[in-house]
Amino acid sequence: MTAPLQYYLLLSAALFCVGLFGVLTRNNALIFLMSVELMLNAANVNFVAFSVYHGNLTGQLFALFVIALAAAEVAVGIGIFLVLYRNFGEVDVTVPTTMRW
Amino acid sequence: MAGEHIAFSFAPAIAALPLVAFVVALTFGRFMPKGGAFATILATGGSLLLSIWAAVAVAGGEVYHETLYVWSPAEALELHFGALIDPLSALMLVIVSLIAFLVQVFSLGYMNDEGETGLPRYYAGMGLFSFSMLAFVMADNVLMAFMFFELVGLCSWLLIGFWFREAGPASAAKKAFLVTRFGDYFFLVGVVGIFAAFGSGLFVGDEAFPVLAEEALANGESVLGFAPETGITILSLLVLGGVIGKSAQFPLHTWLPDAMEGPTPVSALIHAATMVAAGVYLVARIYGFYALSPTALAIVAFVGGFTALLAATMATVKQELKQVLAYSTISQYGYMMLALGAGGYVAATFHLMTHAFFKALLFLGAGSVIIAMHHNENMWDMGGLKERMPVTYWTFLAGSLALAGILPFAGFWSKDEVLYEALIHGVNTPLLLAAYAMGLLAVFFTGFYTFRMVFLTFHGDPRTDTAEDPEGVRWNVKFPLVVLGTLATVAGLINMAPVKKLLGPDIDYLHQWLNGPEEAAALTAHHYGDLLHDYAGYTAADLSPLLPAVVSLGIALAGVLLAYRLYAVPEPEQHTDRLGAIKTLWFNNYYQDEYQVWIAEGVAYPFAKAADTFDQGVVDGVVDGVSSVSLFSGSRIKRIQTGIVTNYAALLALGLIGLLLLLGVTGGWFA
Repeated sequence: MTAPLQYYLLLSAALFCVGLFGVLTRNNALIFLMSVELMLNAANVNFVAFSVYHGNLTGQLFALFVIALAAAEVAVGIGIFLVLYRNFGEVDVTVPTTMRW
Repeated sequence: MAGEHIAFSFAPAIAALPLVAFVVALTFGRFMPKGGAFATILATGGSLLLSIWAAVAVAGGEVYHETLYVWSPAEALELHFGALIDPLSALMLVIVSLIAFLVQVFSLGYMNDEGETGLPRYYAGMGLFSFSMLAFVMADNVLMAFMFFELVGLCSWLLIGFWFREAGPASAAKKAFLVTRFGDYFFLVGVVGIFAAFGSGLFVGDEAFPVLAEEALANGESVLGFAPETGITILSLLVLGGVIGKSAQFPLHTWLPDAMEGPTPVSALIHAATMVAAGVYLVARIYGFYALSPTALAIVAFVGGFTALLAATMATVKQELKQVLAYSTISQYGYMMLALGAGGYVAATFHLMTHAFFKALLFLGAGSVIIAMHHNENMWDMGGLKERMPVTYWTFLAGSLALAGILPFAGFWSKDEVLYEALIHGVNTPLLLAAYAMGLLAVFFTGFYTFRMVFLTFHGDPRTDTAEDPEGVRWNVKFPLVVLGTLATVAGLINMAPVKKLLGPDIDYLHQWLNGPEEAAALTAHHYGDLLHDYAGYTAADLSPLLPAVVSLGIALAGVLLAYRLYAVPEPEQHTDRLGAIKTLWFNNYYQDEYQVWIAEGVAYPFAKAADTFDQGVVDGVVDGVSSVSLFSGSRIKRIQTGIVTNYAALLALGLIGLLLLLGVTGGWFA
């Protein structure tokens, strides 16, 4: 372990902010999904970094869980987007607002 | 202490057989001959044989007590069905199954031969009625007793309202159900109170609640937070509520005369063995509990004496055969309550037994007359039936002599003992003495109304064409009449206590019977005597039984003589006008129904209406208000949902940042 922990944390924070920025500004659902993926991976970086820092494997194990969760989430998300596309002809998340109340 | 005798292994079947008959009659009755009558008759006959067998086993000195089914096995408070057969319940089982058996045989003549419809329903009801009462008699704990007490009430509703397509029976059934239910409500509270106070509802054993109550009284422990005397009195009075309802005591007696709307065999069953007897039997069953509270005893005695007199006076002016009998039932149960309250446990049981015989006899005799008169019950349309239906006349006469208390018929011995017990204990207690006086006065009216009924029905000249040529009755009517007529004549001989006192031979067999086996020493008449002496402070004056017996017999004969003078003529007239204002009072039953209807319509109904308004307006208003406010605020707040995912994400992020800032400010990060 050469790089100190702070660098990892900064990297993770930067990744998270990129993901958040994507979620807040983009309209395309696929980019949305990728941004969410970025935020999840930011958390993963944190987990692994702390795991190595503390010298136990719990964090790495959790990272694996998060990856599995992300995969599941993508599967569901893409399923939703397919239906969105079929109904609205595009995957812009600002268009389908009729499902609110 | 389950008995070893082989008869006891069949004890549960005593109650179960009629239940099976109920199911059979209800399911297959319409395919069976006589509408399923034979199923019920066979089952009740079986119960009768098994009861007699069990009674023989009890006579051998054994007591049967067995838990049959535990339905709530909680350690602190076990609830179960159990059977207890001691001398008292064995005697009662025999009485109930015998009367039920004879009544069902009689029904063949009264219902089947008269071409009634709906017979499977009738016999199923009879089976269920017998089952409920037998199970009630066998109950070994107060909760089980309560459940079957209620079931008895339900069956009476079913059978009184047998002809439910007519308005009268339907309304009478409803009245019987509601009035007894009003009393049962207190009983239910009492049952809960007994469980709360003693943690046990058993009738027998070391854990029996009368025993625990006695210990609490001896040790001065509080009962339900009251002083033990007060607590026990409150609980006994609550249970007494149910007794007053079921045994038709003042002021809840009003349902019973109306219940005459039901078929006559049903009336016989209700009055003699099943429904009305349940109340008095309950007090006898837990007599160890009542004996601890002099207040409760005094109230029981006074209510009993008062009811005996009140009902007897009303019976003197009635025109319908069954109405006279109805009021006589109320009056006779008053005597039993008087005996119980006066410390005459054996006397009450004795009267319960003899009354069961002679009242069933009188009702069945009345039923026979009603068949003969083509269902006209008005005594003024009868007359002269003596020659035309001799079997009915002679048995009816035996029953009437027993009811009036004429030597040596059954009723004389039991009624005399009731009055004697009330007198010897009442010499020191004014309230008991007052109850005794009312009971004694009622003897006169009893003799009068009984023989007014006999003379009007059977003597003189026939007053209508139907009475001239009455319809004949068959063996199935005559057989029960003869059996009961014999019993009403001789049953009193089993307990000739006054003769024993005077002459010395040990012929008070019922006393010996109820002093029972050693196994259940807390349930014997002897033990009750000790309790009465120790806790209720009852002391018996040393009086010769001769004079009171002669007095009550003389008074009864005076009543009979008056009836003879007035009504035993070829063309009797109505003498009620001579009573003046009292006539109206008695015809209207002391306006008991009127004031109770007034309470219902004038007090209870407006109160219920106000409560309903409160419920609809205030309670529902609050609930509705909460929901309107939620709906309104929801309709406004939902507008922040735009449906655009980006907005939600932004709100989430802002919320997180806000939360972090809040934590930071309060956590002192920026300090």
